[in-house]
This record gives sequence, C-alpha cells and structure tokens, in this order.
Amino acid sequence: MALIEVQDLRYRYPDQQGLALDGISFSVEPGEFVGIIGPNRAGKSTLCQALVGLVPHFYKGAIGGRVVADGLDVHKHPVAEVARRVGLVFQNPFTQISGAKFTVYEEVAFGLENAGVPREEMIPRIEEALRLLGLEELKDRSPFALSGGQMQRLAIASVLAMRPKVLVLDEPTSQLDPEGTGEVFAAMAALCRQGMAVVVAEHKVERLAPLAGKILVLHAGRRVAFDSPRRVFAREDLPALGVAVPPVTEAARRLGWRFEDGTYPVTTEEAEELARKNLVAAGGGGGGRG
Amino acid sequence: MQAKAWKANFTTLTIVLIPVAVGINYVGKFFAATLKLPLWLDSIGTVLSGMLAGPWIGAISGAVNNAIFGITLDPVSFWYLITSIMIGLVVGYLAFTGWIRTPGRALVLGLVVAGVAAVVSTPINVLLWHGQTGNVWGDALYAALVHRGTPVWIASFLDEAVVDILDKVITVFLSFLIYKALPARLVKLFGGAHQEVESL
Amino acid sequence: MQLSLYVPGKTWVHRLDPITKLLAVLVAVVLTFVLPGFFSQAGILLVSLAMLGSAGVLRRAAPVLAGVFILPLTFFVVQGLVYPGNVHPAVALGPVVFYREGLLLGLSLTLRLYNILSAALILVLVTRPSDLVEALVRRGAPPRLGYVMIAVLQIIPIMVASTQTILDAQRSRGMETEGSLWVRIRAFLPLMGPLVTNSLISTEERALALEVRGFAGGGKRTFLKDEQIPPYAMAMRILVLAALVLGIGGRWLWGWR
Repeated sequence: MALIEVQDLRYRYPDQQGLALDGISFSVEPGEFVGIIGPNRAGKSTLCQALVGLVPHFYKGAIGGRVVADGLDVHKHPVAEVARRVGLVFQNPFTQISGAKFTVYEEVAFGLENAGVPREEMIPRIEEALRLLGLEELKDRSPFALSGGQMQRLAIASVLAMRPKVLVLDEPTSQLDPEGTGEVFAAMAALCRQGMAVVVAEHKVERLAPLAGKILVLHAGRRVAFDSPRRVFAREDLPALGVAVPPVTEAARRLGWRFEDGTYPVTTEEAEELARKNLVAAGGGGGGRG
Repeated sequence: MQAKAWKANFTTLTIVLIPVAVGINYVGKFFAATLKLPLWLDSIGTVLSGMLAGPWIGAISGAVNNAIFGITLDPVSFWYLITSIMIGLVVGYLAFTGWIRTPGRALVLGLVVAGVAAVVSTPINVLLWHGQTGNVWGDALYAALVHRGTPVWIASFLDEAVVDILDKVITVFLSFLIYKALPARLVKLFGGAHQEVESL
Repeated sequence: MQLSLYVPGKTWVHRLDPITKLLAVLVAVVLTFVLPGFFSQAGILLVSLAMLGSAGVLRRAAPVLAGVFILPLTFFVVQGLVYPGNVHPAVALGPVVFYREGLLLGLSLTLRLYNILSAALILVLVTRPSDLVEALVRRGAPPRLGYVMIAVLQIIPIMVASTQTILDAQRSRGMETEGSLWVRIRAFLPLMGPLVTNSLISTEERALALEVRGFAGGGKRTFLKDEQIPPYAMAMRILVLAALVLGIGGRWLWGWR
C-alpha cells in the first residue's frame, strides 16, 4: 500500500478566488524519493503542507479530494497526529528552531516531549537522529549557534526523531549556501538509502535529478507530470511553463544526444554513459545516434 | 473585525506571538535608550499583540513581559504586571471591536491607554512606595503636590500620568503604523478571522 | 548578551529544587508586608542575604542591589520633606527641613524594597530559569505557557544581537542617531520598523514548525530530564511554611510588628 495517497486534491486559501491546488493526484511508495518542481507560486509549498494537514487545519480555507498518509485521513485528523507519520521540514532553518530549548540535544527532544514519548525511548531516538544527520559532536551547543546547513540538519533530525514514515521537505536548501545545500542533499540521500520515503520540493533540479525516483511537476496548482526524471525532463513544454531543466539535459538536447527511448540524460553520469555509447557507435563506423 | 472581541484566540500562531511581543518591548526600550529619548517605549510589543491577536493574548504578553523581567533583570517590574495586563486588554478589546481604524483614533487610544495605565499603577505605587514612581520628573511633581497638601492618592496619580501620557500616546501610534504596514493575510491569520474549513 | 542573571553552581541552594525556592521567596515577600516593623524587616533581609551568601552569589547580587539606589534616595528625600505625618524636624539643610517621621518611612520603604529584591534574587541568581519553568509545567502549569516563558529568554538576546546589525546598517546609510531630540525621535521608527515587521512575519513559519512537532497536541507530555529533589527540600519547605504561619499568627494574635 502506498504511504501517501493523494486523490484529486483541491484547495483554496481563505479570501482567495483561484485554487492553489487543483485536482492533484499522486502517491508515494515506501522508500521512494519524489521531487516536486515547478515555478514560484505553482503550489509546491501548499502541497507539502497539505501532506501533513497544515493545509487545511492551520490555514482553514476550502478543501476537496483526499490525502491519506499511512492509512490516516489527513483532513479528519489533527496535525499533531499526522506529524507522527509524516515529517515536514521548512525553508528557513532559523524559524524552525523551537526557541524552547538550550541545546541541540534538547531541541531534538522537543517533539518527543510533546508527543508524550517515554523517557527511556526518547534517548535512543534522539541519539539515532543525531547520528543520522551527523550532529553528535554538536549536541551540547546552542541551536542558535549553528551554521545554516547545521541548523537545517538539526531541523531534519528533530522531525526524524518523531519516527515518521515519510519525510517531506519544502525547499530545504533555498536559504543555504552551496556548502549547506550539499550537507542537506547528502542527508536526504542517506535517509532514502536507509529506506525512508522522501518527498522534496526543490528548485535545484540538477541536484534532484540524480536522487529522485519520480518527479512531480506543478504549474498553477495543477499536476503537469508525475514520472521518472528522464521522462519528465524529456518534455518539450517545461521551459514554456517556467520549469527549470538540469543543465546537462539542456546541453544534451541541443546536441541531440538521446537514449533509445527518446529521453535525454539528466545526470552527468548518464551523459558520460551516453557519450561513451555514441563514441563506440561512431568508432564502429555508423553515424547513427543511439 | 469580529463580533466577539472576548473570544479566546489561543492558536499556535498567537502563542508564538507572545515571546516575539516581549522581545519587541525590549528592543523598543533598547532603541529608546540608545537614542537617549526621554521615553520608555517599552510596550510596543504588548500593544501590537493586542491589536493582532485580541485582548487575551495582549494581556498575556503584558503579564509575561513583566513576569520575565521580574524574575530576571528587574524584580520591581513584577509588581506592575497588572498595568501591563490592562494595556494589552484595552488595546486588544478596542482592536477586535474594529474601533481602531484611523490614525486619529490611534491617538485617542494612546490617551486611553495612558489613563488606564496611570489608574492601575497608582494603587501599586501607593502600596509599595507611598505613591512615588521613581521617575525624577513625576516625583518632583508628586513632592510639590504633597507639599501643598494634595492627598497622596491624587498626587501619585498625577505623578504616574505625567510619566505615561506622552510615552503611551507615542507607543500606541507607532504600533498602529507598524500594524498597518503588515500584510493583510497575516493580520487575518493572527486574528483568527477564519475558523471553519469549507469543503470543495 | 545573556538575559538571565543565573550563576551556575553546586551549593545546597543551587541543588534545592525550584519549587522550594519559589515557596521561600513568596513567603519572604509576604512576611515583608505582614511584619512591617524595622526589626522584622531587618531579620527577613538577613535571612535572604544569608541564603545568597551561602549560594556564593553575594558578589553578583551587590550590583543589582546597588543599581536601584536612586529609588531609596527619592524615598528619603520626598518622604522626609513632604510626608503628611511629618511633625518633628530631624535635619535642617538651610531652609530645607527633613522630618523624622518621613525619614523613618523612607527607611521602612527602603528595607521593603531590599527585602523584595534580595528574596527575588535567590530565585534569579541561583535557579536556572528553564528548570523553574519545567518544574511548574510538571505540576500542571500549561505547557504552552512554559514554552512562552523559555522562548522569551532565548528570543531577547537574539533580537538584541540584531539591533546592533540594524544600527550599523542604518548609520552606514547616513541615518543620524545623535543630535537634537527631533532627529533622534525620527530615527526610532526606521530602526524599529524592519525588525518588528520581520519578527512578526517569521512567527508564521515558526508556528508551522511547532505544529509539525506536536506542539498543539493535547495529550500527556513527557520530559527529557528527570527531576532532582534533594532530601532536605522537604525540611526546608516545612520550615518556610512554619515561618509564614508564625509570622501571620504573631501579627494578629500577639500584635508583632
């Protein structure tokens, strides 16, 4: 069974005319890595928030369709309950620090205290989350004394300690420098390798493409595509919709380097593989393209 | 804005507003001191939280403000907890009945707040310090009045009012300007303007 | 900048749990009003100072106690001059006459001020604020109020740190922060405005982040730390309550002052 099942999700913010989400359907399987892309105001953040129920419970407004997270109807259960199944990490590392705790270690405990997790169980969970995000050495520091990338990893650890089945991240690197961005992407990749389902809304498509099993493209609140990165980035309509394409894909398109199925490479590894094949083909005397 | 101004409005958002309001109070006080202004300007956060989230959150912001400073930097401020609570209540109530709309009304509200603050602080001053406030200008007036035979209560009230009027009028007016500059969407979210989820 | 004046330590006062200390402080303040006589006031003050002394924080208490000196000064001057009950002249400085009744009232108000301050300092200097808040939440104080109290302690140093950035930025853009009163008043809003607006706007995302960590869930909460109550805390509580009962009884039964 899918971990997250979204069916014909429609949502309108209070006092707004248009729909922020308009008929979205997709699902996330255990261990899957799903990227959400699209231009600004396409509905990426709204969709991420809908997966934990902040939309509609926090913002109110009008909702239709269904979101089921690990068997729980999100529209019918409070955020605190959904949050134990679906974790959400936001853009700004700084605002995610609770402000109620004085050390990194205590900060990770915050959600567990709220959820009433017994003390004996809390400690192994905190230590595991700190280890997974590489924060053990910072555990006695003040959360506010961390770098942006460290703070964002702390935010992920804090959500992870709740032991969700799915981790959703809403543009987690948009306020980070390249170093911090690298830290966060490495953490997401590691978590996914260990079997966690990851859903991430992100502008940096070149970093997303190598990791994602599937990409969901949004535009004006509608689903444009939901497919493998290769198939998604092979679409001709993306630039017109304002959706970024990995530079390597763009270059391959210009050069006309295609795989047999008509898609373009989305990572440098794929491009190299294709180039090698083309060279072999060229060396073999044939001028045809793969 | 809302029919029921006294309705409880305790959401995660309004709870998070409280520490921010106390921080704003402190920063106001800090800038006033840095610029050597003859004013306290240390209740802008309390006034803003009342405007944004109503009387109860305003009152709690005021209470927490004085309680925190009471147990950390300035133990005497604990006694003026009630004054801060009343400021938050009055501003929050008038904001949530939709009364504060124009800059002119913001000025009037400043006078109302100054009056309320003086009325509430006077008994505390009388109880604690026989009516003095510890403010040099106010206490000079107090001394002159008591010397002429004015009852301690009245002298104390005037002592406090002199200190309060200009400070509170400016505090409320500045808060009003900041309030008006905030995104309307956020103001509605704080105010709990939408309570129900509709279905599409 | 540190908002809290807490001085870490391992003395018996430090190890006393926050609730016992809170109780002691409340009783000291109540007794200050129940027994307004000079000897009682001085006695209570001595006890508070002795506690501060054995916690090893007198040195830190001194600047706080000295910092309010202007208040006692005004008590003596104003009450000595104009207290309505003034009858007997005590000191004359030229035409200015200080009366005995007023000066005594000034002394009494001063003792009261220092009693309140010293008692409060037992809590302020010797108790970690977050321990106090957590102790209260364990005993049924609303957890959301507990959050607010601790968040205030964290947010103020952060906001103060950003004030310096703003001051520097605005000055480098040519804003005048010195000069006539009008110049300084005009500088206030550009300094305050951005900081206030930004901190209000960021509350939205912080609220969202708290929600996904179960902040609004109403279930039973647990605590990462175990509560430590030393064995002598109970004796201390009984002693403090006995002092309260004795003080109130003494006042109304035997006319103590």
